[in-house]
Amino acid sequence: MPTFNYLILSFILFLIGTTGVILRRNALIVLMSIELQLNAGNLAFLAFARALGDQKGNVFTFFVIALAAAEAAVGLAILVGIFRTRQTVNLDEVTLMKR
Amino acid sequence: MNDGAPPITAELVVFVILAAGTIGGALMTITRRNPVTAVMSLVATFFALAGIYATINAHFVAILQILVYAGAIMVLFIFVVMILNRDEVQLFSFKGILTRVIGVVAAGYVSYLGAWVVWDQRAMPNPTGALLRGGLTDPPVGYGTVAGVGSSLFREFVFPFEAISLLLLVAIVGGLIVSRSQHQTDMAEGRARHIRDIQAQSHPEIKLLPDGRPADDDGHAAAGHH
Repeated sequence: MPTFNYLILSFILFLIGTTGVILRRNALIVLMSIELQLNAGNLAFLAFARALGDQKGNVFTFFVIALAAAEAAVGLAILVGIFRTRQTVNLDEVTLMKR
Repeated sequence: MNDGAPPITAELVVFVILAAGTIGGALMTITRRNPVTAVMSLVATFFALAGIYATINAHFVAILQILVYAGAIMVLFIFVVMILNRDEVQLFSFKGILTRVIGVVAAGYVSYLGAWVVWDQRAMPNPTGALLRGGLTDPPVGYGTVAGVGSSLFREFVFPFEAISLLLLVAIVGGLIVSRSQHQTDMAEGRARHIRDIQAQSHPEIKLLPDGRPADDDGHAAAGHH
């Protein structure tokens, strides 16, 4: 099966993630959409690594997974902090820096 | 690919099933109202993706995907959903929609260009086109196993590996500090003050600075190790 198929799947996954990031209000769902985007990147890395027979792509995927863990930890902590002070996690209501 | 329908192999069938699961799960994730359902759909997406990783010989990453993503990160999400669980009345936000429409158009154009380049290269008679068109050949021995990836990780990528461990440490400490409430900070300061008071009563001959270090007679920080 051509590598191209995996790239199509990766592209669709990334588009879905981007849609979630741009359109959703709930910051939690936005964080999940970012995870989707990272996974789309991972899939492309692994598909090319497999096509080239080179393991470096797998190592990079490992780094991306570690990065996603760090991002989730800090992002969720920030969400909890925002919820404590403002009682909402809706992104269009967190506008303190607008005025 | 353009010479008629591709032959239906077992590999293709498995890929289509897993890809449908991945895309369906991702769509569920961004359209569900209840965040718990969204998290569960995301877990399903990650399992389907782990299946795809396993079919392209990335066994180690497939296991990591289930252990770290579906296990650890999603549990973290579930915890936070439980703290902040509120169903939304309005799912999508349309405030400042003009700015975001421009953003969508720009992002869409960049995606279109990227996809067009790949699509174009696919038909080219050069190595890139061959790579994109070509079926997956047998990988080298040990490809994608724990031993293979581990040896690459600890031989060629030792410094990035250490850097990522440092990043994780910083993220943990940063997460703790950011999510700490004002109440907890006040409590900690109150406790420190209390300890200083007890110290002052039981050993009045030792003067302490506000930060808890012992002071000499002039009120400066005492020399020596403390």
